[in-house]
Amino acid sequence: MLTVWISENTARLRLVAQIAAALVALAGCGRYRTDRSPGTIQVDIETSPTSTDPRFATDATSSRINELIFDSLVKTDRNGQFVGHLADRIERPSPTEIVFHLKHGVRFSDGRELTAADVIFTYDSILAPESMSAKRAGIEELKSIDAPDDYTVVMTTAHPYAPALELATEGIVPAGTPLPSKGIAAAPIGSGPFQMVGYARDEAAQLERNPYCIYPSGAPRSILFKIVPDPTVRALELAEGVCDFSGNNIEYDVLPWLGSHQFLEVSKTPGTTYKYLSFNFRDPRLRDVRVRRAIAYAIDRNTIVNTILRGTARIATGMLSPENWAYDGNVTTYSYDPKKARQLLDQARYTAGSNGMRGLRFEYKTTPEGARLGEVFQAMLQRVGIELTIRTLDFATYYADIQAGSFDLTSLQWVGINDPNSYCMVFDSKKTPPHGQNRGYYSNPAMDRLVEAGMSTVDPEARKEIYGQVQQLAAEELPYVSLWWVDNVAVMNRRLVGFDAYPNGSFRSLATVTLSGPGGGGEPSQ
Amino acid sequence: MINYGVRRLLALVPVALGVATLTFAIIHLVPGDPVVAMLGETAAPANIVGMRHQLGLDRPLLEQYAAYLGGLAVGDLGESISYRKPVSRLIAERFPATIELAAAGMLVAVFLAFPLGIIAGSNPGGAGDLGAMGFAIVGISIPHIYLGPLLMILFSLDLRWLPLTGRGGLEHLVLPAVTVGTALAAILARMLRQSLIRVRESDYMRTALSKGLSARAALVRHGLKNALTSVVTIIGLQMGALLSGTLITEMIFSWPGIGRLLISAIGARDYPVVEGCVLTFAITYVIVNMATDLVYAIVDPRVRIS
Repeated sequence: MLTVWISENTARLRLVAQIAAALVALAGCGRYRTDRSPGTIQVDIETSPTSTDPRFATDATSSRINELIFDSLVKTDRNGQFVGHLADRIERPSPTEIVFHLKHGVRFSDGRELTAADVIFTYDSILAPESMSAKRAGIEELKSIDAPDDYTVVMTTAHPYAPALELATEGIVPAGTPLPSKGIAAAPIGSGPFQMVGYARDEAAQLERNPYCIYPSGAPRSILFKIVPDPTVRALELAEGVCDFSGNNIEYDVLPWLGSHQFLEVSKTPGTTYKYLSFNFRDPRLRDVRVRRAIAYAIDRNTIVNTILRGTARIATGMLSPENWAYDGNVTTYSYDPKKARQLLDQARYTAGSNGMRGLRFEYKTTPEGARLGEVFQAMLQRVGIELTIRTLDFATYYADIQAGSFDLTSLQWVGINDPNSYCMVFDSKKTPPHGQNRGYYSNPAMDRLVEAGMSTVDPEARKEIYGQVQQLAAEELPYVSLWWVDNVAVMNRRLVGFDAYPNGSFRSLATVTLSGPGGGGEPSQ
Repeated sequence: MINYGVRRLLALVPVALGVATLTFAIIHLVPGDPVVAMLGETAAPANIVGMRHQLGLDRPLLEQYAAYLGGLAVGDLGESISYRKPVSRLIAERFPATIELAAAGMLVAVFLAFPLGIIAGSNPGGAGDLGAMGFAIVGISIPHIYLGPLLMILFSLDLRWLPLTGRGGLEHLVLPAVTVGTALAAILARMLRQSLIRVRESDYMRTALSKGLSARAALVRHGLKNALTSVVTIIGLQMGALLSGTLITEMIFSWPGIGRLLISAIGARDYPVVEGCVLTFAITYVIVNMATDLVYAIVDPRVRIS
């Protein structure tokens, strides 16, 4: 029957086949291959950098890309300690003064030599009122900045300011670089290993080597940062071999699948990103430390880390991770103990009714990405009689609510904590929005005294002692329930050799990796 | 017909005004601050106040609305808060990509729907009908956010026929277009099937058959053209669904169109961009529907547009 039909319709079938073949040829099908320029690596990122100018960028994506383009006077090492970068030598002649002796021969990507005048210009343009830079608030402790000669920069603070080296982390642009405003499309140049040669927001940023910066043989000549918002697509691009590197933006569920590809390496290293549960202290029920401790005991963090996070985190004892020089792990901890949680709630006079619930109902605000974790908290708190209502909002609405203090409970994370001075921004009672990030309106005079002392004590040993007390007090008082430190999970093509992961998730070692196999890196620069 | 076209174009004015007003109200009423999104939480309060003043966001809402309408009246959509570029320029840069995707999606829909609808409508209850309608149910049910990655896995990862993401040659267009067009294809196929079944029972079809025409010839010469009228109407009405489908598809395939711009602008509370994008979608929708009405008159000579 079929053969008869085919024989009767041979001419038509041939025509259909010819049309299909033409369409396929037209569509450029066949075995599709991604063409890659030799020496180029592709890094997938989830969002566009908000600014290509280091004087304005405050988000993590911009900072990580800008770190490859711009040099700063100091950088942090893996322990969060500041070390000289553009500064060859750093002196601290008095508690309010720091002297930076600059390296000679550092050049911007246009060949100009970087001098103290460029440093002064960069800081002046951040501080200029018309710039409206978000970074101005971060360096407001700076009283003056001077350049006695071409290779010396002197920073003076109004008061003894312990984390003063933090002021020296701004990326330096050449003197005369205009402010990013209307009509200025080109990104500023820097003296770092790369220069930005193309940027289309929401699409990609293309970096190429700074010709005046030495780089090792076989290292990538250019990096394409491609903006891929969908996490599934980022995973597929890695699996297809289009993307070479993706850092901390792959969903945990797909890591085993990606790891099953022989050409991919899933690297997991300890990270400093701190995930916490925050309370609103304007709610009198949450001002009761017994309620906060009960919530801490009711959350089974080990189970969450081992199941949902697939082991890609460490249970946290506080904001500072063990990699930080000021870390103190000798603090009160709250391992999962629902019985103890119920006892604490009983003591706080929230007794269980016949249905086991205690009349404690809180609203947990989160984003769509955080809803799953919210549901886990909801189930765990229900076991001890606390009802959690989850309200899922788009990020901008959520963020506005959190800043306005319109939440009972929420969970956020701190990224890139280096100096323990961060405690001041989040726990000092004077640092409520818009003056700081104490969004829960936590207030404790003892904490205020400690964080203020930590800020003005210059001696490192004395500071460490102070921040040890801060960590102990925070663990006792629980303005935050410490959840976990998120591991840095990088998925990379095995052709990238020598990637050295930094605890803060920095991309800086992309400048020094080498490429193996066909299409490898470039020749070393002279 | 010219009068009709002019009248429909004039009707765009109240539609645009309504859309502009609604969009303005909604985006300004939802919480979220574009200045904080741009400057960051750590910005000095004085900077936030200064930037808000610079952008005119500290003015009363009605004043901002009047300024927005005043700009619209002279074709000025304002300036993007986060991109620092004129909104019209941003839209002009990205609109071709969205139109390309929507048009390709429509083509895919028509190419899939017509054979499936004809197969199903020619022999209702037969194997072809069951197969075609099975496809239609799957096509309508499967969301873009699922279909897109599925197609990527099959055609990019496993078969390596097509690229995963981005806009480039025609090969980049195939998967996004199929993703956008599949649901519409399913709807059109079902519509065409229903129309053909109805047409097959009409008097003129019986007359054609009684004159000695074969069933296939009667269907092609007389039935199909009559069945198409309702399908053409649906194509126009579904343009809105097609455009909204491009929002998700552009995000999945990293397609640099207006949909991606709009989603990014909503996140950043970039009011002028959100307003401009929504207005562009609305005007496109109205124009496509007007074009559909004109095509309708061509397909069905009984219809006279006046």
